[in-house]
Amino acid sequence: MKSERRSFWPVVVTALSAALFVLLFLYLEHEWEIALLAVGLVAVLFCSARFGLLARVETAASDHPRTTILVNVVSALLVIVFLREEHFALLMLATVFLYITICLGLTLQFGYAGIVNFAGIAFFGIGSYTAAVLAVHSPLPHLLVILVSGLVAGLIGSLLILPMLRTRGHYAALVTIAFGILFRTFLEVNDLLGGPQGLKVPGMQLFGWSLNDNISLGPLGMISFYASYAVISLLLAAGAYTLIKRLERSWLGLNLDAVRTDETAAASFGIDLPRWKIFAFTAGNCLAGVAGGVYAMMSGFIAPASFNFGDSLLLVSIVLLGGSGNPLGVLPAALLVVVLPEKLQIIQEYRLLLFAVLVILILRFRPEGLLPRRIREYYAGWGRS
Amino acid sequence: MDPGFIAQYLLNGIVLGVIYAMVAVGFTLFFGVLDVIKFSHGDVVMAGAFTALATYAGLEYLGVGDGAIAAIVITVMGIAAMAALGAVLAKLLILPLRDAPPLNTLLITLMFGLALRESVRLFYPNGSNPKPFPQLLPDAAMTIGNLELRLDSVLLIVLGLGAIVAVHLMIQRSRIGLAIRAVAQDPETARLMGINFERVVLMTFALGSALAALAGITNGLYYSEVNFGMGLLLGVIGFSAAVVGGLGSLYGAIIGGFLFAALQTIGAVWFSVPAYKDVFAFACIIVLMAWKPTGLLADKSAERV
Amino acid sequence: MTYPEVNAFTEAIMKLNRATLITTLLVFLLAGCSSEKDTVKIAFIGPLTGGVSANGLGGRNSAELAVRLHNAESSGNYTYELVALDDECKPNIGVQVATKVAADKDVIAGVTHYCSAVAMGTVDVYHKFGLPVVVWGAVLPDITYGNDYKEVHRVNGTMINQNEVAADFMLEQGYKTWVIIHDTTDYGKGHNRYFSKSLVAKGGRILGTFGVSSDQQDFNAELTKVKELNPDVIYFGGLAPTGVRLRSQMEKLGIDAVFQGTSGIVSDAFIEGLGPLSEGVIAFREGAPVENLPGGEGFLVRYDQQGFGEPPEAYGAFAFAATQLIIDAIEKVGPDRDAVKQELNTTRDHDSIVGLITFDDNGQNTVALITRYVIQDGDWVVWEQSEYAQGERSLQKR
Repeated sequence: MKSERRSFWPVVVTALSAALFVLLFLYLEHEWEIALLAVGLVAVLFCSARFGLLARVETAASDHPRTTILVNVVSALLVIVFLREEHFALLMLATVFLYITICLGLTLQFGYAGIVNFAGIAFFGIGSYTAAVLAVHSPLPHLLVILVSGLVAGLIGSLLILPMLRTRGHYAALVTIAFGILFRTFLEVNDLLGGPQGLKVPGMQLFGWSLNDNISLGPLGMISFYASYAVISLLLAAGAYTLIKRLERSWLGLNLDAVRTDETAAASFGIDLPRWKIFAFTAGNCLAGVAGGVYAMMSGFIAPASFNFGDSLLLVSIVLLGGSGNPLGVLPAALLVVVLPEKLQIIQEYRLLLFAVLVILILRFRPEGLLPRRIREYYAGWGRS
Repeated sequence: MDPGFIAQYLLNGIVLGVIYAMVAVGFTLFFGVLDVIKFSHGDVVMAGAFTALATYAGLEYLGVGDGAIAAIVITVMGIAAMAALGAVLAKLLILPLRDAPPLNTLLITLMFGLALRESVRLFYPNGSNPKPFPQLLPDAAMTIGNLELRLDSVLLIVLGLGAIVAVHLMIQRSRIGLAIRAVAQDPETARLMGINFERVVLMTFALGSALAALAGITNGLYYSEVNFGMGLLLGVIGFSAAVVGGLGSLYGAIIGGFLFAALQTIGAVWFSVPAYKDVFAFACIIVLMAWKPTGLLADKSAERV
Repeated sequence: MTYPEVNAFTEAIMKLNRATLITTLLVFLLAGCSSEKDTVKIAFIGPLTGGVSANGLGGRNSAELAVRLHNAESSGNYTYELVALDDECKPNIGVQVATKVAADKDVIAGVTHYCSAVAMGTVDVYHKFGLPVVVWGAVLPDITYGNDYKEVHRVNGTMINQNEVAADFMLEQGYKTWVIIHDTTDYGKGHNRYFSKSLVAKGGRILGTFGVSSDQQDFNAELTKVKELNPDVIYFGGLAPTGVRLRSQMEKLGIDAVFQGTSGIVSDAFIEGLGPLSEGVIAFREGAPVENLPGGEGFLVRYDQQGFGEPPEAYGAFAFAATQLIIDAIEKVGPDRDAVKQELNTTRDHDSIVGLITFDDNGQNTVALITRYVIQDGDWVVWEQSEYAQGERSLQKR
């Protein structure tokens, strides 16, 4: 079977049109335009999945993995350049990238290894608080602080490993839910970490340059300081995405698939269940923690109330909406879930209700989500006619 | 410490335990029958309390006013409404997902709970404010030394325990209880024996939700307040209690409920900052889960591979 | 579908993409040439939902009143639009909303915050974006005194005065021992700090201090401990919803101390939540009751005329004054954030319905008068006019 290297153009076209879409989505003001765009996105995704266009793009992408990522990052950068003066649009974009990072972590835990994590936002919060404390009280350079935030999140997550390994299904879910609530309550009653009043976080300083200053381009205007954070979040999301994709295609992903599909069968084939579960859970939490660190520095203020159970459910709904197990689905889902309520003031209040109902409908009628998970390609050219 | 104060803590703990036990029994019932964890249970508790509140507002408008009659009417309304809601939920969301991975059911019930909570917050007039719950029980009190023994606390304890005992008796002694137990043990054989599977499932859900409504009303009467977020914590606590006691075991749920209340009370007394009691209680639960993953009074079960 | 068909379809999509690209670029260009705006936006941020929404809505309505009254006169240079946003009395939501408003270049100034906890979180945001704001209801001193930001101003008073007068008054009434219960936000902690300081300095005894979470439901544990301590008065530093729960659970445990609160509970929502249990509760607030303010009666009359659904509550008048102050500044120097900020900083003896407003170096207005309230027959009554003061009724301690 000869594997043809597909033409690269579908990827470029998709990347550019996606960039344009995101740009319009963030820039336009009128609500009917936004609603139209959102509906359009869903329609396009459905149609392209149906007509096999998506498969074409995905195969082209998998043939040129490195260039794909590059093209996508470049088109995202183009969007940032275009929006350089819009504070709030850039803030939203950065938030979307951070949420994509967390949800990719959740995809690793849930989509690949089958571990349910209802405390996603708690690990995000651990990352944020670690960054807040370290940035103020230690001389560590901020880049290192972000990494440490991820490590701490993974470390604290490992406290939950023993109960999680020994339980399955609902019991495991209970452990993460209990932890999520415990985390929030602990933060609120603990004055050391600011209590309900929260903590102020200094802006990021990289190599002597403070990210919290607007960059002035003289007569060309200025670049909002959120642009720097947007770029960092973009790099983070791109890195996470590459990682997850590579993981999926490697033998690690194969093992995870086996663990998820049937634990007993996997065990009888000699796959070390605890090891893979620990790996997936910790890695996912680390990603969430790193995203939390960047978020803390970007918003400059964190409080326990930002990290409650409803937000964890929102993260889970992003993963489900996009199609659990398909990292590509996380992107449009995160964009819709984060940006839509901000743009459509009408639904801002009804946000949680709306997404809950949406997820119920999806679980009931289309459990695969927007972009269903692809069948694993066991070797190059497998499954193509 | 003065025995009077110890008694006061004990009394508080018992009322809490009764409320938690009622919620936990609901969880256990659902799990026993359909192997399903209905995460929206806590929010059904809240919805039951709000239905009662709305009924009270209606009664006030009609001028029927206070007293025992009002108490009975709003309780009946709350229970009936939630029983109906439970049955509808079972029919539309739970039964169709019977063959899907159990995770989907868990998620769908979680989302439903979220939807219910948000709906009350958004659509009940001024839903986001905590609402005073009418004082319908007699407020006579007896002061024994340092203990303030209130009649309404005692009434609530009696009511709650009575409800749990009634449910237990019903499951053990009545025909419908027999059917429920049969379905819980082996749905296929039960069907072969002529039991209407769907009807039994709907009944179980209705029963559990009715109990939830009672728990909500009890909670409202005890604190004289209801708010839209009360279901979340109650649901998680009830679930923890049911799990710790062993899912599927009624006695386990009751023990779990009182255990959690005890942990909270001990935490409140022990720590100088009483607010740590929840952290303490949940941490204990996580440790317990690690030690006994299937609960304290686990049912022996075999899993088909 | 066969390959030729798919190929054709793909090509069609690509052509469509190209067309879309061109069209949207055109749309962009056209959208860019929008017309000059004559409308100036002022932001209002307050708790429009949640336990203290009564105050937030009252403030919003009052600010809206100021805007409407000004727009009705044709003498102004600009038309004003109030952008009202909800901070839910939560610091993180407040920061989100504040960022949104501050990042919006069309918003020139803000009338912000009733909840001190939220105001503390957002001062940095306003400074970061250079948005001048006037606080209308938050009483924590640190909001203006805790920083050097030129953007932040406040028309209402701070809690320092309130607590000094409270300590004096209660000691005069003959009470000797206190237990302090406060919520763990900066607001509650601030009240604890200032009241404890004043009380101890004047000779009162504090038997115990408890910090509680502002959304805590069950206070039986704390209150049982309080009962053991047996104080004359329970001082509560926090907001109305928590106050309601504390007072009703106090009753259930048979604690017969006097319940003394702060400006946080001076609201109709407190009385509604408690019913007859609210009788005899004491609280203190800076500023005179609305009717006694210099422009108070006129304000109430015009407020009623607009037919708002909610009453102005305790701080509506301040929100009104703050909005008017901003409008006056914009009328004078134009819709520019920096200019407005500097204009506000020079406010001296500016006339308003709450009296003359002068901002000191930290942007703080001085409000000298503290009103003492007691709840009598389901209403907040000024102490001097109440039956308690005349001796016809006596406070708790059955």
